[in-house]
Amino acid sequence: MKKHKNNNGRPHYLNPYFGGVLLGLLVVITFYITGRGLGASGAVKSTVVTAVETFAPQHAENSPYYSKYIPEDKSPMNNWLVFESFGILIGGLLSGVIYGRIKKFRIEHGKHTTSSKRLIFAVLGGALFGFGSQFGRGCTSGAALVGSASFSFGGVIVMLGIFGTGYAVAWFFRKLWI
Amino acid sequence: MNKNYLFLTILMLLLAVGTFFIPKKQLVKHERSPEKLLMDITQPSRYVTTDQVAKMIIEQDPTLELIDVRPADEYNKFTLPDAVNVPLKDILTPESQDNLGIEDMNAVFFSNDDIMADQAWVISRRMGYKNIYVMKGGLNCWIETIINPVEPPETAPETAFETYHFRKAAGIYFTGGNTVQTGDTGTKKAKVKVRRKKKEKAASGGC
Amino acid sequence: MGPLIPNEIITGDWNFVIAILIGIAFGFLLEASGFSSSRNLAGVFYGYNFVVLRVFFTAVIVAMAGLLYFDYFGWLDLSKIFILPTFLSPMILGAVIMGIGFVMGGFCPGTSFTAIAIGKMDAVFFVIGLFIGIFIFGESFPLFKDFFNSGSMGNVTLTDVTGIAAPWFAFGFTVVALAAFWVTAEIEKKVRKNTKEYKF
Repeated sequence: MKKHKNNNGRPHYLNPYFGGVLLGLLVVITFYITGRGLGASGAVKSTVVTAVETFAPQHAENSPYYSKYIPEDKSPMNNWLVFESFGILIGGLLSGVIYGRIKKFRIEHGKHTTSSKRLIFAVLGGALFGFGSQFGRGCTSGAALVGSASFSFGGVIVMLGIFGTGYAVAWFFRKLWI
Repeated sequence: MNKNYLFLTILMLLLAVGTFFIPKKQLVKHERSPEKLLMDITQPSRYVTTDQVAKMIIEQDPTLELIDVRPADEYNKFTLPDAVNVPLKDILTPESQDNLGIEDMNAVFFSNDDIMADQAWVISRRMGYKNIYVMKGGLNCWIETIINPVEPPETAPETAFETYHFRKAAGIYFTGGNTVQTGDTGTKKAKVKVRRKKKEKAASGGC
Repeated sequence: MGPLIPNEIITGDWNFVIAILIGIAFGFLLEASGFSSSRNLAGVFYGYNFVVLRVFFTAVIVAMAGLLYFDYFGWLDLSKIFILPTFLSPMILGAVIMGIGFVMGGFCPGTSFTAIAIGKMDAVFFVIGLFIGIFIFGESFPLFKDFFNSGSMGNVTLTDVTGIAAPWFAFGFTVVALAAFWVTAEIEKKVRKNTKEYKF
């Protein structure tokens, strides 16, 4: 178990290029086995659909959006992305254990902001991201990364859009981070 | 550190450049090579006679697939029962290709004589399709043998008479009892049941 | 010949087991590369930590070349893989909204999962936000249903749209990515001169 605390207190991470190569190979292997790529936002969508279906089944059936994701004979959670996302949690946990990054719950925020401000913006950012991911038919993993890698026109558009916009608005939110 | 990264940069560039040199696959797996194709062309086994075709139609052979390779207007004027129209000039489109290579079906090309049908056959054979045939003599021969069979002279062998009687009966079957002078039999333009290939499904996915 | 499951070389029953395994590998790589920290992720927009750019772009160019080589070796039939469909205007809008959400929230869905796994509270709130955002979308969907489905171009690839063959894109992305790696290394050096902490 590596605990590189002697790295000036900075956490030890994989060389980013090494990580990138492995990630690229993972994408190729995923296509090789399943014919599709990986993703993340889809699992959250499935959860929302399931929740709405559980608490308000009529509304879910009538909704032009939710109804598309309610299969006839099984739960919306019975879905490739949901299982894959569950795996992401486990993989993250595994890495955290190996590199000694599992600690008690903490809130990460920039020097010039407070924890509560960070949490508020986390929720707002998440809401915007969730909302946008439906239009984009994916998030940075499914649409931008996998889409671009498979030469999809839409994938490249989403990738450029997310990062381009990020740079465009970064200045307005700088106090959160620097 | 820098030397390693320089090396990796060059390696990655080489890999990317390498993708340019990936040769386009010359031969799709099932294509028939030119040498084999020439051998196939010289075989007479690709021909079926008008008698054989008539027999298959009358017996309602389920494996028979008649393909009329003439232009659409000729097909609409007159064609064989249950024949599909795949004009020769369109034979390479995906829609036309759907009519070939269907499991267990024998595709028989025909045209007015057999020149266009032969061409269709060669093209299809080159693409690797099996179970394809040409009706020898085409529709002209069909008219001469089935619709207007010639009575053999008295000195002809027994088999010739058998064939003649078969053809007369077939002629009646196809024309409903009237012998015809021209190609316009007004034959029932039967509803064509088109069997197409099962489309292979690509993977589905999402975000 | 891949893809294995659509070609029924592996039965569909393995689908979910494979999904979890792939997810584990994905989550591990994300966390091990430092994507479980929102401050690391946001660094790409402020110049103090370009890990997002390095990992993401490397993955894209490796995968592009990888797919082309796998096709060449006959291991993968590229015509059978899922290509993300393009809906031009909605996707642009979605990407813009996501970009804002990314800078505000400091996460994207995949990375937020890994961050939750190691105990980051802000990631938990981000995911709560994801739920809210998708729920609001679902409820208000009838308002923009037509826009949502507009601009459909089908499952088009870059080659379909531009007529330029795939190797050009693989090469182009590679050149741009490699150049970006060197340039951002310089930028990082300058920005980090003034900051004590840049790796979280």
